[in-house]
Amino acid sequence: MGLIERTPLPNIQPIKFLLNWGRKYSLWVMNFGLACCAIELIATSTSKHDFIRLGVIPFAHGPRQADLLVVAGTVTDKMAPALKRVYDQIPDPKYVISFGSCSNCGGPYWDSYSVTKGVDQIIPTDVYVPGCPPRPEALLHGIIKLQEKIGDEDIREKWSGKLTGAPARG
Amino acid sequence: MASSPERLLGADIARRLQAQFGDDLPEAEERAGQAVVRVVPDRYRELIGTLRDDADYAMDFIDFVSAVDRGEDGFEVVTQLWSTSRRHGVRVKVDAGRDDPQVPSIHDIYPGANWHERETWELFGIRFDGHPQLVKLLLPEQFEGFPLRKDFVLMSRVAKPWPGAEEGAEEGPEEE
Repeated sequence: MGLIERTPLPNIQPIKFLLNWGRKYSLWVMNFGLACCAIELIATSTSKHDFIRLGVIPFAHGPRQADLLVVAGTVTDKMAPALKRVYDQIPDPKYVISFGSCSNCGGPYWDSYSVTKGVDQIIPTDVYVPGCPPRPEALLHGIIKLQEKIGDEDIREKWSGKLTGAPARG
Repeated sequence: MASSPERLLGADIARRLQAQFGDDLPEAEERAGQAVVRVVPDRYRELIGTLRDDADYAMDFIDFVSAVDRGEDGFEVVTQLWSTSRRHGVRVKVDAGRDDPQVPSIHDIYPGANWHERETWELFGIRFDGHPQLVKLLLPEQFEGFPLRKDFVLMSRVAKPWPGAEEGAEEGPEEE
């Protein structure tokens, strides 16, 4: 960590590529399944669709081990503080995929008294996967989009906490 | 009344209850094969107790307690009972009033009604007299208002009217 912040290494193109390449194919995923979308998320982790071949490892035993948070399902205002807490426990660098219409924007519950209208009101979100629920292939596509994003990323900026609102390290 | 293991027809249940409760049962009929009765609030507990204890009815299972907001006509509490041995049921309706809706609690007759009444209280604001713990069950503690009342304002619909109305579907509540 100190190395990342003190040296220009991460901005040297081959090293930046190497670090990002390493991170994008070792995403330990935290399951935050809340509704029917969770079934599709679990299906994506099993042998037929098998996101381990993309380097996504199911499932972290707790948020402190995780790199990627997949919010799959309907977030209610009552659940939102718990989601924020889980997100805060994940160490930087961390990524969030919002999976399904409910966590994207409220979906079919757009006018509900109890449903949070979009998980991005609570935590910064990297990739949105639309669908109700989306098929496992859609999540695989979302993961590939996230990996492209990680591949282009400036690691110092990401680890500084500016993007995620976490306190800076070092 | 002689005890019988037979299932009673909805119309029979309605007729028997009508004979027993008379004018205190302003509505008693069979609807979709099931007895539906409306009872005055004063005899609501008595009716529920009869349905549970009378061997002819033997309603040992409470299916649900919920409510309906009928606008200016006030709220009505709907209780569904079922007999697992006789395989017949009855739906009991009781008026709760409009401004300060309340009905007697039946949690001591059917313990299963306890949480149903709490949920009905938090969603409709109907007080169940005699309930031991009328606090929120599912809603967050800081939630204000009773969301299943027709006059509850949905903020999303204030910003964007119900889109189904354009297609001729059901219209949302008027909010001005």
